[in-house]
Amino acid sequence: MSKILNVEEANGLVIISTSGYLNKDLGEEIQKVSTEYVDKGSTSFLLNLSQSNIVNSIGASIIIEVIENLQEVDGDLAFCELAPIIEKTFNIMGLTKYCKTFSSQKEALEALS
Amino acid sequence: MSDLSEVYNVLNKKKSLRAKILSLSFFFNQNNYVFKLFCSSTVFSQRFEIQDQTFIKKINFNKVFGEETFKIIDTKDLLYFNELDGFDFQKNGVCSIMYFFKKPVGFLYLFSKNESEDKLLNISQFLSYYFDGIIRQFHMESKLKNKTLTLQNKLLEIESIFNITELLNSHNSNSSDLYQDILFYIISTLNASKAIILLKNIKSGSYDLIASVGVNTEELNKKMIRDTKGILSDLKESKSSLIINNTDDYILSKFSESNCMASPILSQKTLHGAIIAYDKESRQGSSMFDNFDLRLFDNITKKISLSFDNILLLDSLTESKKSIDNIMSSISTGIIKIDILGEIDYINSSATKVFGFDKDIIIGNHYFIIFEGNDRLISLIEKTEIEKKIIFENNFEILDLNKKPLQINLTISPVFDENNDNSGVVLSFEDLSGINKVKSTFKKYVSENIVDELLKNENSLELGGKEEDVCVLFADIRGFTSLSEKMDPPKVVYVLNNYFQSMIDVIFKYSGTLDKIIGDELMVLYGVPIRAENDCQNAVDSAIAMLDSLGDFNKKMNNEGLPQLNIGIGINFGKVVSGNIGSRQQMNYTVIGDNVNLAARLCSSAKGGEISISKSVYEKLNIKDAFTKRAPIMVKGKEKPIDNWSIQN
Repeated sequence: MSKILNVEEANGLVIISTSGYLNKDLGEEIQKVSTEYVDKGSTSFLLNLSQSNIVNSIGASIIIEVIENLQEVDGDLAFCELAPIIEKTFNIMGLTKYCKTFSSQKEALEALS
Repeated sequence: MSDLSEVYNVLNKKKSLRAKILSLSFFFNQNNYVFKLFCSSTVFSQRFEIQDQTFIKKINFNKVFGEETFKIIDTKDLLYFNELDGFDFQKNGVCSIMYFFKKPVGFLYLFSKNESEDKLLNISQFLSYYFDGIIRQFHMESKLKNKTLTLQNKLLEIESIFNITELLNSHNSNSSDLYQDILFYIISTLNASKAIILLKNIKSGSYDLIASVGVNTEELNKKMIRDTKGILSDLKESKSSLIINNTDDYILSKFSESNCMASPILSQKTLHGAIIAYDKESRQGSSMFDNFDLRLFDNITKKISLSFDNILLLDSLTESKKSIDNIMSSISTGIIKIDILGEIDYINSSATKVFGFDKDIIIGNHYFIIFEGNDRLISLIEKTEIEKKIIFENNFEILDLNKKPLQINLTISPVFDENNDNSGVVLSFEDLSGINKVKSTFKKYVSENIVDELLKNENSLELGGKEEDVCVLFADIRGFTSLSEKMDPPKVVYVLNNYFQSMIDVIFKYSGTLDKIIGDELMVLYGVPIRAENDCQNAVDSAIAMLDSLGDFNKKMNNEGLPQLNIGIGINFGKVVSGNIGSRQQMNYTVIGDNVNLAARLCSSAKGGEISISKSVYEKLNIKDAFTKRAPIMVKGKEKPIDNWSIQN
């Protein structure tokens, strides 16, 4: 149900697209992929959650860890195409304070590239 | 390494504790120092894999450090450390204790072959103080972070309850979309890995999978799920939410890796469904649902149960209303309900058609306004309101919206509620305009009696007959054939139409049924389809009136220069077969039999202006004096001569 659909690099940005429930399993997958790319030198990440319509607090707290790790290497994480329920959860958990959010991947690429 | 400022610079370059320690290790390594930090996991987050947990748990701080805060490792210490098998310590290495709220939680180890004990001690103590502060700060931050996280989680729970409430309020049907949305909120709020919603199929009694997250639905949909055993049976019994650690319900528990929570969806305290959430997630992996989770889960599902109950009730009400509306729309009786305030609160489609009302306009309006111009109707409604008695009115005239008069059969009844309090009146009425139209058209062709009988009893339209006593009258124009040959056909038709009109008016006046017109001959029945007190007397009176009417007719013809007519009439009474004779497409209501033939023979034997009657008629007359017995006549098919009486105009 939950998985990373695609990881691609565009204009120095690592775009991770997911589908399904953003819970512990998917959160850890995102964390693993982001760490791999950080080790290779990438610092800017975009998380496309258009196919994920649900998140729990464990998933959100793992994304917080991803943000912390990226901050240590002066990197950043942005989100695009958040479902209302996910946006609300991210707001409550304070994620959106540290990350930019975009309504579409196109908009994010234009702003972050 | 020259002095402590270099160490300080290394530490200050990094923000996070992990980064500080990693940088410090790198720095000492570059300068040929051996640096190691041993610390309890209760102080640092497990995310920092820099300490040897096994070792720190084994170490006896008192034995190594005594009252001191640092230690230069000697041979005795080496032996002790080697026993613990934690790390390759060196003689003259320096260990400095790290405290956390005055309790030793670990120590720093620093060694260099090239540095003096004093310098090592100096650096080690500096680091010990530095980390002491950092640990305190880190701990406070961690504590704050955990508290914040807890608060955020509580906020999420509250938000979820709000969201679920909003969701339930925004739906007015049990759609699967609603349940799927609910499940999303439940699963994310409870940090569950998977969840399902089952609803009872009223027809089969088994439970259908309505919504799911993270569960193999294909497999589950193949299984028959009932509340006779397992989780659903427990819920049926307890009627409250449960944490289920072990269960024999293989079908519903097989998705669970740790434990699950199940909550009933109740309607009228009966199990109608269930929500099951599986395997709570934690940062460390799968964990167990506890009583706090259960309380939240129970709270959410109680809201769903309440809403489910309301939705069921609403569905049932809608269904009932629809059913009543369908019934009311399909009946031809017009129904108008007026509430206690005199406002119209219901009208069916038949009533709107009769009055020509627009339903949307009249609902909620007072009947004084709606029935404006129908003063009698208004006063009857008022009378019912006051006297609280049913009023019946047949052939009641009303005016429709276009002020066109209509005939209705009206009933106005008071309405009482369950406490026997008056709650308004209901008008029910039959529109007679259709019936009257049929009657008036039909009456041009057949007697009013037959029309009434047909309208009253639809079975009378079936083919077939029955034997009954009937009085049959024949009236024939004498010499009409030769007369018509001398006249223009239009004049013949004109004379005949006028003649028949005069005769039929009389026939209907005496309750006769015009059976048929055969050329210039009239056949009339008395006693069918409606029997009168004395059908023979009616027939004779009718015949006398026909002759009288013929006098008036002849005067009119004379004035118009047209020939006068002369008729003979024959009447007989007896058993005949009456009914609809013909085919389904074309039938006539008539009578057949010997007694019909005898009436025709009597007519033939009568002279112009004469009425000839049989014995059976004569015997039934109230006044017989006017009739004179004639010589018996021979009739075809009869062996004996037939007695007969006559009267001359």
